[in-house]
Amino acid sequence: MNTTFEKILKNPVSIIARKEIMDNVRNFWIILITIIFAILTVAMSAFGAYFSEGWQDLGMTIALMMSIVQLLVPIIALMLGYAAIVGEIEKGSMNTLVSLPVKRIEIILGKFLGLGIVLTFSIVVGFGIAGIIIGIMVPDVNYIEYLIFIAATVLVGLVYLNVALFFSTLFKKRSTALGGAIFLWFFFNMILPVILMGIAFAGAAFSDILEGTVPEWYYGIQLINPMSVYSALVTLNVEGVLSSASGAVQIQYPSFYTTWLMVLILFVWIVGFLLLSYQRFNKKDI
Amino acid sequence: MIEKTIRCPSCKNQLTINGNPGDKIQIICPSCNSKGVFTFPHEESFLSESNPIQVLNLTKKFNNFIAVNNISFSVKAGEIFGFLGPNGAGKTTTMKAILSLINTNSGQIKINGISIHKDPKVAHKYVGYLPERIAFYDNLTALQNMYFYADMKNTPKGECKPLLDEMGLGGALDKKVGKFSKGMQQRLGMACALIGSPPILVLDEPSGGLDPRGVALIRKKIREMKSKGTTVFLSSHILSEIQEVCDRVGIIDKGVLVAQDSVSKLSEKLKLKPKITIELEQISNEVVEAVKKVQGVEKVDVKGKNIDIICDPKSKSKVILAVEKAGGSVINIQTKEPSLEEVFLKVTGE
Repeated sequence: MNTTFEKILKNPVSIIARKEIMDNVRNFWIILITIIFAILTVAMSAFGAYFSEGWQDLGMTIALMMSIVQLLVPIIALMLGYAAIVGEIEKGSMNTLVSLPVKRIEIILGKFLGLGIVLTFSIVVGFGIAGIIIGIMVPDVNYIEYLIFIAATVLVGLVYLNVALFFSTLFKKRSTALGGAIFLWFFFNMILPVILMGIAFAGAAFSDILEGTVPEWYYGIQLINPMSVYSALVTLNVEGVLSSASGAVQIQYPSFYTTWLMVLILFVWIVGFLLLSYQRFNKKDI
Repeated sequence: MIEKTIRCPSCKNQLTINGNPGDKIQIICPSCNSKGVFTFPHEESFLSESNPIQVLNLTKKFNNFIAVNNISFSVKAGEIFGFLGPNGAGKTTTMKAILSLINTNSGQIKINGISIHKDPKVAHKYVGYLPERIAFYDNLTALQNMYFYADMKNTPKGECKPLLDEMGLGGALDKKVGKFSKGMQQRLGMACALIGSPPILVLDEPSGGLDPRGVALIRKKIREMKSKGTTVFLSSHILSEIQEVCDRVGIIDKGVLVAQDSVSKLSEKLKLKPKITIELEQISNEVVEAVKKVQGVEKVDVKGKNIDIICDPKSKSKVILAVEKAGGSVINIQTKEPSLEEVFLKVTGE
């Protein structure tokens, strides 16, 4: 066997990641949500036929799918991550794991890598199958845009995974970590958008907002919500999303809204929470 | 260079081979020509320190509660050191500190000379640990769990099946651990602790949740490891178990290490006296009175045809002489040394 490859396989990060994959690959909820991804995507495209002239292409399907993604991807990511550390501590298996020749940072990285692969697999397989079916039914599909959509979905999923991982190092009980994860999902999906909308109404004229001329600072504060960043990333890169929004409020992103900024913000969330998880786990008594 | 004596699996012929840690050597048995490969254990399988576990001024607080208060002790290479204490005395906290599972407030801990605070990853290579509260990955089988630990310890997976067989789990290799009983999990825990033949074993209540057969198996395994030169740091509530297998004991009470030595030396220090039971053909008042008058006799109890006498070891011959002089006809004499339980109760003031 190639020595470098052998070294990678024998690295504790890779060993823990493989164990996480083995432990989660038969997780009923992960399989169920993967199937739901595929079914919903195909259904969105097919049902579009009732209201227009046939199966919708991937761009239009993505626009329809985004709200489902914003609902389901955080749930699957939080579900995978919330018990990763606290669950093992509560059960007792972390005692043995930490006593092995491994650094705590390697445990965190191994968990992130393994759970990240499970999450990515679920998103790629779920949307991938649907993409293939839609590709058969619809001519001239823009697969590049679909791949960007899948990649952005994976990125936002990893953000939520790491937030859940952090919660898992923060609390002493699995149930509290689950409560924290649910609250977080609720906060980013329900509370924060309402707060931001309130700020927008307080700071700008109602008629301006209806006309779509939202002030730039409003777009700026939107970036604290990873879901808004995800929406912007997809909207900036997938043509179908923009055209589907033409009937409603016209989206006119400010000039600083670029693909790279959105990708950077999501990476900062991922790395930031990974570091916070490590810092917290390193100080934790097992 | 290490010299190792091995046995040919086919003809049981003994061979002596030499090599360095980690070397893989091709072997052809001169007696039956069977071929095989032997891997010399890694450096982590050997101890360079005469005191492979050293704890110096260890203190651990949980908020305002002092769980472990400035304790110091060391465990000698190749000995079995029993760690005793009442519930909540600080045994598990000390064990967890030794394995860097918890952060300490002050003190130093060294495993084979390596600071557990500075380089826990290297220090852990020398240790096999069986925690008090054992748990595994329930979705994985016993063998998959073992493979995971073997990978983490960088040990060949070939060790796993024989270890599970030895621990009586040969028939449950492919059974998911989630379906294991507490006793089976404890046996699996012991098998995991033994992966890679670590030179130090830290065992926290190893007999917990086991049936008598399991307890016997674990004790046998501990003795076997001692005969191989393994250093064992063991905590148990079963004092007879500690007395049976340990060379020295440390007793912790309310976070303070109140005693450490061999049981016999602790008995001496604590001036605990042995119990002599003399069985007579017939007991008379003269005999009992004569025994009571012997210098060094502390307590005399009559039970049927037996007299139980607690006295200085030096007075034993005088007691027997006094019995015979008073006309007592001795059938049998038994001497029971002070038990660890007595030492424990005296030291902890219970």
